[in-house]
Amino acid sequence: MKTSPLAVLSLVAASALVLTGCGTTEDTTETDSGAATVSVVDDRGETIELDGPATKVVALEWNAAESLVSLGVMPTGISDIAGYTDYVQAAPVDDTVTDVGMRGEPSVDAIAGLAPDLVVVTNDLAETAITQIEEIAPVLVLRGADASDAIGQMEKNLGDIATLTGTEDEAETLLADLDAKIAEGKAAIEEAGLDGTAIALNDAYAYNGAITIRPFYQGALLTDVAEQLGLVSAWEGEGDENYGLGETDVEGLTALPADVKYLVLGSQEGTVYSNELAANPIWTSLPFVQSGDVYTLTDGIWPFGGPASIDLFVDSVVDSLTS
Amino acid sequence: MTRSSTLSPPENADGALADRVPPIRFGAVALLALGVVLAVVLGAVHITQGSADVSPLDLFASLTGAGNDQATAILVASRLPRLMAGVIVGVALGVAGVLLQTVARNILASPDTLAVNAGAYFAVVAFSVFGLSLPLLASGAVAFVGGLAAAALVLALSAGRETGTVRLILAGSAIALALGSATTVLLLLFPERTIGLYAWGQGTIGQNGSTVVSTFGPVIVVGAVLALLFARRFDLLALGDDTASVLGVNVRRAQLIGVLVAIVLSAAAVNVAGPIGFVGLAAPAIARLIAAKVPGMQRHILLIPAAAILGVIVVLGADVLLRLVFGGAAGVEVPTGVVTTIFGAVFLVALALRMRASSEAAGRGLVSSRTVSTRRRITLSGIAAVLLVVVVVASLLLGDTKLLGGDLVNWVTGQSGPIVDFVLGTRAPRVFAAALAGAAFALAGAVVQAVSRNPLAEPAILGVTGGAGLGAVFVITLWPVASFVAVTGGGLIGAVGAAVIVFGLAARGGFANNRLILIGLGVSAAAAAGVSMLIIATDPYNGAKALTWLSGSTYGRTLPQLVPLAIALVFALPVLLSARRELDLLAFDDDTPRVLGIRIAPARLGLLAVSVVLTAAAVAAVGSIGFVGLVAPHAARALVGARHSAVLPLSALLGAILVCVADTLGRTAIAPAQLPAGLLTAVVGAPYFVWLLWRSRR
Repeated sequence: MKTSPLAVLSLVAASALVLTGCGTTEDTTETDSGAATVSVVDDRGETIELDGPATKVVALEWNAAESLVSLGVMPTGISDIAGYTDYVQAAPVDDTVTDVGMRGEPSVDAIAGLAPDLVVVTNDLAETAITQIEEIAPVLVLRGADASDAIGQMEKNLGDIATLTGTEDEAETLLADLDAKIAEGKAAIEEAGLDGTAIALNDAYAYNGAITIRPFYQGALLTDVAEQLGLVSAWEGEGDENYGLGETDVEGLTALPADVKYLVLGSQEGTVYSNELAANPIWTSLPFVQSGDVYTLTDGIWPFGGPASIDLFVDSVVDSLTS
Repeated sequence: MTRSSTLSPPENADGALADRVPPIRFGAVALLALGVVLAVVLGAVHITQGSADVSPLDLFASLTGAGNDQATAILVASRLPRLMAGVIVGVALGVAGVLLQTVARNILASPDTLAVNAGAYFAVVAFSVFGLSLPLLASGAVAFVGGLAAAALVLALSAGRETGTVRLILAGSAIALALGSATTVLLLLFPERTIGLYAWGQGTIGQNGSTVVSTFGPVIVVGAVLALLFARRFDLLALGDDTASVLGVNVRRAQLIGVLVAIVLSAAAVNVAGPIGFVGLAAPAIARLIAAKVPGMQRHILLIPAAAILGVIVVLGADVLLRLVFGGAAGVEVPTGVVTTIFGAVFLVALALRMRASSEAAGRGLVSSRTVSTRRRITLSGIAAVLLVVVVVASLLLGDTKLLGGDLVNWVTGQSGPIVDFVLGTRAPRVFAAALAGAAFALAGAVVQAVSRNPLAEPAILGVTGGAGLGAVFVITLWPVASFVAVTGGGLIGAVGAAVIVFGLAARGGFANNRLILIGLGVSAAAAAGVSMLIIATDPYNGAKALTWLSGSTYGRTLPQLVPLAIALVFALPVLLSARRELDLLAFDDDTPRVLGIRIAPARLGLLAVSVVLTAAAVAAVGSIGFVGLVAPHAARALVGARHSAVLPLSALLGAILVCVADTLGRTAIAPAQLPAGLLTAVVGAPYFVWLLWRSRR
């Protein structure tokens, strides 16, 4: 007891000495690019001005990462690659991308290590973290979602990223393609005589008998897209002001109209319906369940994403309803 | 203190056996019947509430077999199972609480305070996170093993000759805190896979059909019947080991049966509804309060049913009230457990105010009475100071990006390049935040423990830390883009508010130990429930951010944010050191300082005010870090004895080291992902604390 603290201390002190004894981890050289400047005004009202289009971009929220991939700018780093790969299948990242930690608390060290030209974040990230990241690179702050104009917000976010990465042509093409895709989907819906059909878009999760169903109300990005296809959301009520989401339970489904088409997002969440709810008498008493109007959409549609996710969604909805 | 004094109010302090275990009387039975009627009325209201628009008439028609299919389905698959879940969970927790109280001879023993719920919940979460899907009864067994392990640890740690209230609750709170932190680590690491678990983790009685209820219902019935079968033995057990032995009871066996039945019941309840807070504490405690007034009710054959009925009333009452106030769908969004916790918290405070104030010298088991030489004190403090410097340097070098000593030298001398500049520019504030906050929490803990003469009384357990957290989250939720200044202000107001409530209510009777802790536990739990309610009701998709903030995180700190904390420390340390003699005397007993002319109440108030300011500043800087204020002063006393001239500086140093190490681990262990410092403080601090308790057994 008498000697052990001293022994520990000397051990720690010795290791500290070893650490401090060795050199440095960087050599300091400056690089310069000489292209024309690009600038946008972001969600904070700040002007982000770059000397030239950014090529090394880190995206800390998945929708920004998806937009970058779609625009042909493979991000240098993104948050939670494993989660992204599971949930955002429309725009896969390649193995050059570095993981910079969780979306809630990305590692500023890891971001700094990538020496990016631009970091794209959403207003969900803590203000102080944004301030810190600004010391190493310009930070574009996007509003993650806006339930009063979900599609407009998505387009604005895509446009801002495109401007700063010099890919405005690609963005235009993406949006034009998306318009065409929606028009095509709308035509298919009309042709099948489904124009004006009531839909209820949702996902769900369960634990030990407690089931929560998450309706995508009007204002949710995908609900707005579905309405552009000529469908009508049957959920009554309002979601939160950003994502247009809410919560209900199985009982709450009895308020849906009898002829609704019930659209379930993602097979991972969809298992709630095939496992937990299959034998639930309330569920089986619902007219749309009895008539078989429950559709599970393709896995990996990120409901808060960009053109690529919406593209996947439109295909999946049209396929589900018309086949 | 005598063994039974905390279990029953003073009304039945002494007397013959016949007085202490009176015969059953008609009045007591009639009261039970009244309770059943009240529960039935609540049940009838409960069944009409829900998110589907079904009229009570339709439901009644379904009950008699004449209703339409959907109304019948809603009744059978949702309303009745939910009602049954409320009933069996209430029964399970009520009975479990009574048994644990009797075995521990302690009115504060409950599935919450003995960490049974925390252990069961941790086991369930761990299994689900690793993708292991189990059949219901097997998951019940997992919860049982988790609850059993936690309770066994707590009881083993608090066993010994001096099985005091405080020692039991100390061990239980510490283990529950550590398990809660470990659970939160899992929830943070696997946010997508545990999305349903967060709400469930607060306790919710909503059911999908009757499978869960019909699986665990029989288990709970068997447990409750077993408890009744042993009622006579529990009566005798409550009289004390010796008396019970003389009367022919195998004390150890009766205790073992009581604990095992209680854990089976709690684990079953956790499986049905998640860890529903405070019912297992409040229901039996109310039953005992009533029993003190009603002849015959103290016998377990009536006390157990009384606690069961009260458990049902509390659970159903919470659920009914929730839906009455917020509408039929509210039960989906706001978990029942949040409301029961607030109920239980209010009740705890009321209970505390009714209790006879006693200033049991609770900390004796932990306060080292041996004398320590001055030389040893100075040597140990010196070693701690050197260690802190080493830890700070190591913290600056370690992290997601590993640096070398030369980088640090370059940075200090202004020669480093942009990456090192940036990494250290963002890392240094975090390291300093951890060290300063650790020191502040530890000092606040040392002061509160001395002033209240209570090793449990640290700012987190007394609700001051929770109050600060509630204030800050309130600001964050209402103004999502609130500046750091506003968040700090919210935290300060919350901390002061909690302190005023806790210390104000406890002031009557001069901050008596048992009262202070009960009120503190209540306020602490209410603050936590309030935070959950705020997050779930207003911003369910920002759970991770709020969780992180509440768990104590140095993420994104900047140097200017540390100024208030640094100022608080710079002023507090000399003030406290100059008051070291008062602290020594106040920690000793009530009489000595009075004899020596110290005005006790103003001295206590002043010292407590200093510790509240320290706590608020630390919470504002890094969020709620719970364990350090408890552990660091204990460690310091174990090393250098009880003199505050030595305890205060060493506590501060050890607190700084602990949080700094936890923060570094959090930034390094699973980089680039990171864990909040506060969670790792609990995970790092708990084993040490367990060892401390173990060593001080006798």
